[in-house]
Amino acid sequence: MKKELLSEPTFDFQKWLGFFDLLQMKFIKFSFVSLMIFGFQWGNAVPIISPPQEVVSGTVTDINNMPLPGVTVRELGTNNGTQTDFDGNFTLQVKSTNAVLQFSFVGMDTVERDVEENMVLNVVMEQGSQSLDEVVVVGYGTQRKSDLTGSIGVVDSKELTRGPVTNPLQGLQGKVAGVRVALNSGSPSSSPRVLIRGIGTINSSSDPLYVVDGVVMENIRFLNPNDIESMQVLKDASSTAIYGARGANGVVLISTRRGAKTMGTTIGYEGFVSVGVLPKKLDILNSAEFMEVLETGFNNHPLYSDQPIPEFTTDDPNLFDAEGNPIYDTDWQEEATRTAISHNHQLSLQSKAENSSFGAFLNYSDMEGIMLNNYLKRLSGKIAYDANPKDWLSVGLNLLVTNVQENEFEEGGGHQMPRRSMIEMPPIFPVKFPNGTWSNSGMVDDPYGLEAIPNPVHVLETQDRLVERSKIFGNLFTEFHILPGLDLRTQIGFDRNIFNQKFYSPTDLINISSPNGSATLANNKSLYWQQENYLTFNKSYEDHNFNAVAGLSWQKRTSEYFNVSASGFSDDTFRFNRIQAASEPGSPNSGFDEWSMNSYFFRGSYNYLRKYLVTFTGRMDGSSRFGANNKYGFFPSVGVGYVLSEEPFWEGIENTFNFLKFRTSYGITGNTEIPTYQSLGTISTGTTLINGSRASISYVNRLPNPDLEWEKTKQFDIGLDMEMFNRGLIFNLDYYYKLTEDLLLDRPVPAHTGFSAVRDNIGSVSNKGIEVLLQAFPITTDDFKWDSSLNFSYNENKIESLGVNGEDIFPGPNWVSGSQTILRVGESLSSFWGYDRLGTWSTDEAEEAALVGAIPGEAKRSKERKIIGNGIPVWSGSFINNFYFRNFDFTVDLQFVADVDILQQMTHSAQDRSGYGNGLDDILYDAWTPNNQNTMIQQIRNGPYSGQNSEVDSHWVADGSFIRGNLFDLGYNVDPFLLEDMGIQSLRVYANVQNAFVIDSDDFRGYDPEASSWEGNQWGQNIFFYQYPRPRTFSLGFSMQF
Amino acid sequence: MKNYKIYYLLIILFTTGCEKFLEEEPADEIALDQYFTQPEHARDAVNTLYRTGAMQLYTGEVYSGARIMFGPYITGFVDNEYKGQEVHVGYAQNLSYNQTNLSSYFNSMWSDMYLGISRANTAIKYIPEVEGLTEQESEQYLAEAHFFRALNYFYLVRFFGGVPLITTPYESLGELELERGSTGAVYDLIIEDLNFAINSNGLSVSSVPGNNGRISQGVAQTVLADAYLTRSGEAGDGDYYAGAANSARDIINSGVYNLTQHSFDSNGELTENGSAYNKNRKQRIVENEYIYYYEYAIGIGNNPYTQWTFPTALSPKMAYAIVNNAFAPTSDFINSYDPVRDLRIQEKQYFHSSVTMPDGEHLEFEVSPYYWLDEEAVFETALSERATPIYTYSNVLLIAAEAIAQSEGVTSEAVDYLMEVRERAYWNEDPAAIREALSELSADAFVEEVLKERIRELAFEFQIWFDINRTRKFPDPSSVQPGQIDFINVVGATNNFGGTITETDLLLPIPEMEMQRNSLLTQNPGY
Repeated sequence: MKKELLSEPTFDFQKWLGFFDLLQMKFIKFSFVSLMIFGFQWGNAVPIISPPQEVVSGTVTDINNMPLPGVTVRELGTNNGTQTDFDGNFTLQVKSTNAVLQFSFVGMDTVERDVEENMVLNVVMEQGSQSLDEVVVVGYGTQRKSDLTGSIGVVDSKELTRGPVTNPLQGLQGKVAGVRVALNSGSPSSSPRVLIRGIGTINSSSDPLYVVDGVVMENIRFLNPNDIESMQVLKDASSTAIYGARGANGVVLISTRRGAKTMGTTIGYEGFVSVGVLPKKLDILNSAEFMEVLETGFNNHPLYSDQPIPEFTTDDPNLFDAEGNPIYDTDWQEEATRTAISHNHQLSLQSKAENSSFGAFLNYSDMEGIMLNNYLKRLSGKIAYDANPKDWLSVGLNLLVTNVQENEFEEGGGHQMPRRSMIEMPPIFPVKFPNGTWSNSGMVDDPYGLEAIPNPVHVLETQDRLVERSKIFGNLFTEFHILPGLDLRTQIGFDRNIFNQKFYSPTDLINISSPNGSATLANNKSLYWQQENYLTFNKSYEDHNFNAVAGLSWQKRTSEYFNVSASGFSDDTFRFNRIQAASEPGSPNSGFDEWSMNSYFFRGSYNYLRKYLVTFTGRMDGSSRFGANNKYGFFPSVGVGYVLSEEPFWEGIENTFNFLKFRTSYGITGNTEIPTYQSLGTISTGTTLINGSRASISYVNRLPNPDLEWEKTKQFDIGLDMEMFNRGLIFNLDYYYKLTEDLLLDRPVPAHTGFSAVRDNIGSVSNKGIEVLLQAFPITTDDFKWDSSLNFSYNENKIESLGVNGEDIFPGPNWVSGSQTILRVGESLSSFWGYDRLGTWSTDEAEEAALVGAIPGEAKRSKERKIIGNGIPVWSGSFINNFYFRNFDFTVDLQFVADVDILQQMTHSAQDRSGYGNGLDDILYDAWTPNNQNTMIQQIRNGPYSGQNSEVDSHWVADGSFIRGNLFDLGYNVDPFLLEDMGIQSLRVYANVQNAFVIDSDDFRGYDPEASSWEGNQWGQNIFFYQYPRPRTFSLGFSMQF
Repeated sequence: MKNYKIYYLLIILFTTGCEKFLEEEPADEIALDQYFTQPEHARDAVNTLYRTGAMQLYTGEVYSGARIMFGPYITGFVDNEYKGQEVHVGYAQNLSYNQTNLSSYFNSMWSDMYLGISRANTAIKYIPEVEGLTEQESEQYLAEAHFFRALNYFYLVRFFGGVPLITTPYESLGELELERGSTGAVYDLIIEDLNFAINSNGLSVSSVPGNNGRISQGVAQTVLADAYLTRSGEAGDGDYYAGAANSARDIINSGVYNLTQHSFDSNGELTENGSAYNKNRKQRIVENEYIYYYEYAIGIGNNPYTQWTFPTALSPKMAYAIVNNAFAPTSDFINSYDPVRDLRIQEKQYFHSSVTMPDGEHLEFEVSPYYWLDEEAVFETALSERATPIYTYSNVLLIAAEAIAQSEGVTSEAVDYLMEVRERAYWNEDPAAIREALSELSADAFVEEVLKERIRELAFEFQIWFDINRTRKFPDPSSVQPGQIDFINVVGATNNFGGTITETDLLLPIPEMEMQRNSLLTQNPGY
């Protein structure tokens, strides 16, 4: 039904009806799932009726002795509970004298108390969020937060999934200072880019290492974010050195949810439905304006060429009426996008028995992209089991299975993909002609010479880009409690990924796959396993506190792939399902790859009186990826801390300055993330054409480098952690300096060697920066609370040295007029490379213009190319506010970046060259004319007949700073009293809007200033040739626990 | 606590690794020292040369044209509709190219040719070590490897002058930088390599298609003839015309090649599509005329030239998404042909400016190459496998005519060779009259006639810049009397786009990227 509606762009009313139909369907589905859950609950959880025996009463106050009303009081392991009254008093009949009461209140740390014989319980609750005794996960263990000497950012599940996030990295955005997450596309199937403390490498990966429950995970973006308990981001060397040769880009440790923490069983459900809309449209030419530009181009032709051209006409009866006016005025941005409806359901079952706990989690997520037909569906299940069968033994298991089905959206490249054609397809064409045929830009009889553009709706509706990803991930551990405080843990973990691609592009998509069609089938599999054994020691001897870990690790990853593609389909019947029906099979490909690592690691932390802190960390790593002469490397670090607030002289001011710690660390970490076999000079094979058929070929593919080893990042960090005014103000500050040396660089070599580069350890890059986290609780009254968190970071990046002669390197991405970026000593990484646009040549400058082959009205550019921008932000951060009023909570999450540029490659075809297709409307309103000479926009001309003038220049560059209204979330916690009878422990309903607004610079011409259309290209950040618009998303959801 | 033994066992179990755990043994690649053990390895190492290096000058994509067109763009004889985006075209036409503004463009040319040389060096080094090769196979593969090394150096020396001379493969880091060799030293190596190939028993005397698509004697001799001829010119270092004449003569006398002839009806009129040029256009490979060519096969390598046969404004009408007149003849080029007497400039011989579409629609447009047109590809399939000529028999005949005139004088043999080409073009004329006029010319005047014929006949072999460069004579066709061409000194000559050629422009600059990578290089004068 939808397809037909889309072909009738004028019937808005019906379209809305269609939308409601759809919404209704989704809602029915949604309700059905909810019902199932309720049904399940009502069928099984019969309340236990046994008369309460004892009555406990008391008062709950805060540390200033103010009574706290509305505190939830619950007898653990039961549905029995109450709330404190206005004076903070409560009374509860408990079932036994062994009962444990739990006191919880928003913004406060939850308190648990044994009833024992005390029939009166007076409880003092403390402000939450940054308890001194908070334990954080570190590499191979946990540590008290206050004992840390390193710099670690923590994000809990609540913060992570407050908005409708499709992957964990989206949730991480803006939450930790120094962690830059760029969501470069609005597609649910796109990958965010994550940089921790800048980019410190050139040819290796800059992605951080992700460790999930102790096991390294790849493709982290397919992890179900609802399964995450907490994320810890390790930033400095004191915390990352234990990951040695893989730690240089920072490490993200993820703990997933496990069994219940308290006795009994709880069942939880969380779900939301969201509606994504196109937040803005680009100002492009409509039919009348487009025709005006076209005609002007024809009229201007004699200025550019003495070749005769056809007369400008508007005769085609399919497109023009008798007066020559366009019949259609199609809004392709409207047609190619949709209101995207997504929903997510998470069901959890958690229980705890005396010696074991168990958790089972099921998630189904159906995320629609706002571009037609783009979706991601994820089904994931997870089981966690922990047991203490003996007093000397603990065991645990975690198993995670994910299946993702996508119709992905083409994010890269520069040809006629829909994100481009939704702008450039001329509006004079309909989606379909009245006879039912899809339109394309060739379907005009008048001699316009338009570039061949298939209409975006046609592409989106008929092309398949199906991807299926399966992941099985898990680990099994046993922990032997050898002595009090001394444990031996052995753990086996694995990550299996299977990735299948099925692409088909039909025979009638001009300039994409016409006339032959094309299909690709691809399969990739990888298996990673690790086996680790380590001893942990955690003990205090009077004032001396020790925390140590030592162990060893084996890791191996194998992967294989094959793919085959073909074209020459006689029609579109069988698509990729019968590739042998294609007359032109391409050459099939396959490959195999393997690497392994063997490592030994140690960390020893000691503190005296929790005042003087010191941590030594070291890891010895061996990696198969490196040369025979350099298999093993050592990565040490040291961190020291001084908790000033533990000093005796502090006592007088400890109520004002609750906590003050200085810490500093220095250490070395490595980066091994290069392709395998780079140290070897090997023979590669393939085929070439000789005498009409394929013939085998072989050639030496690399210069060998047996000395190849890892990149080494030396990092210095100095920081301070401070808490003031009863923890009403929390302040963290870090300064760091990172110097990455012995870069794994594709060091250019003279081309006469037959090679362009050799992978060598040469060159260095530095990053220095400041990170600030400021948390405040400005208002805390009985009814109203406000907490506020501001984090921001500053990063300065510089190339210190490159190859032997300091040669410039042009790393791409390569596009119109060559590499769009340059690597040059003394400059920042990700520097854009092009000409300066000085303006347009004026009539008075005709002679000067002629010297460079130009005429007045054409772009006036500098003689030489230079650096015209920088794609990595210097400043980034977020400002998050939570408000609590009675049972309501409200979150305002703002994010910002500053001091960054964007290379808008779309300027090439949407403005610089007119006549091939549609473009921005300033071509018509602000282009050079004899009467409007002071403009950057070149004179209108008809590219197909009169040529064009387009090169990367500063006019393509815009200031990339922005402020985004990332999330506005309103929640309501239903009063537990009202729920008690239904057997529900808690229920929160919420509504939010994500990406509510973006404030960007005036010269920005795209949809969203956080962008790249060079997915996967290290240097493609903030460079885009059209974008997948990022939607504005409205969500409605609830979560409950039984 | 009684379980200590278990812990010890576990620790021993988990810490005892396999010694080879960190060794890399690629499964889809093989180490160089384990290779060259079977006859097929020798063959495959030579096969790779067939489409690397200099050969890559002859392929391209729709917007940019082929790299070999860079020379013709400099002369201003051709234009490219996409030059606003393909900046190398404008830099060539305006003579404003230098080592920085086209650094990566020139670097690609330079690097690709050295890639070919490096792979040839590997083959030359290891083929003698391969066991199990027959003597015939060994000689054949070595001859092919030497041929390709020479071919790559021949393009390098013409574009860049004396370049670093490398004859053994680089296999480790170490001293990588190297000085430029002299032009003469480069030519010495080219001639030595080609003579090695010709004098070994490795190369067949047949045509390339008759030799399973592999290099034959005629190919090596043609390149040798061209190398001798070029070395004898202004950019060379001596008089090698006799060598050029002898090599060309050997090819002509081999009897393997001949020119396709026209078909006439009983009235003496050309039959439809009966001209030699039309007949050649229709064939995948013109076996009798194409001594060497860049081949295509659908599904393996598709011909891009067909997309350069119509102006871009006609794209919507074509099976190809985009067509582009990337080798658009300018008025200078068109004026080099006699519009009445010369068959090649007649509509639908070498060029066209109108077409009747399959649906009967008649379209007129700017003059575009017709010789590359493959109707089935353009109108239906967007797939073409017609080969692109690199050396045609016409070229050899004209080399022979020029070289003989230069070394022996305007002999009747020299006249014969020029006449073979010219009488086919002047299809309505009495050959005897043309011959007589030619026979009376001085050697210099005769050579100019040969050069004119090279401009016209070899339009699609991209020889024009190489010819200007070696003779220092820039053709100046008359717009008043098309077909008449004067030659002027190349230095100071102004092309069709107003670009003025200087001494500096005669060699391309060494790309800045390579200058930075090899500090021993010296830049060509003037850059």
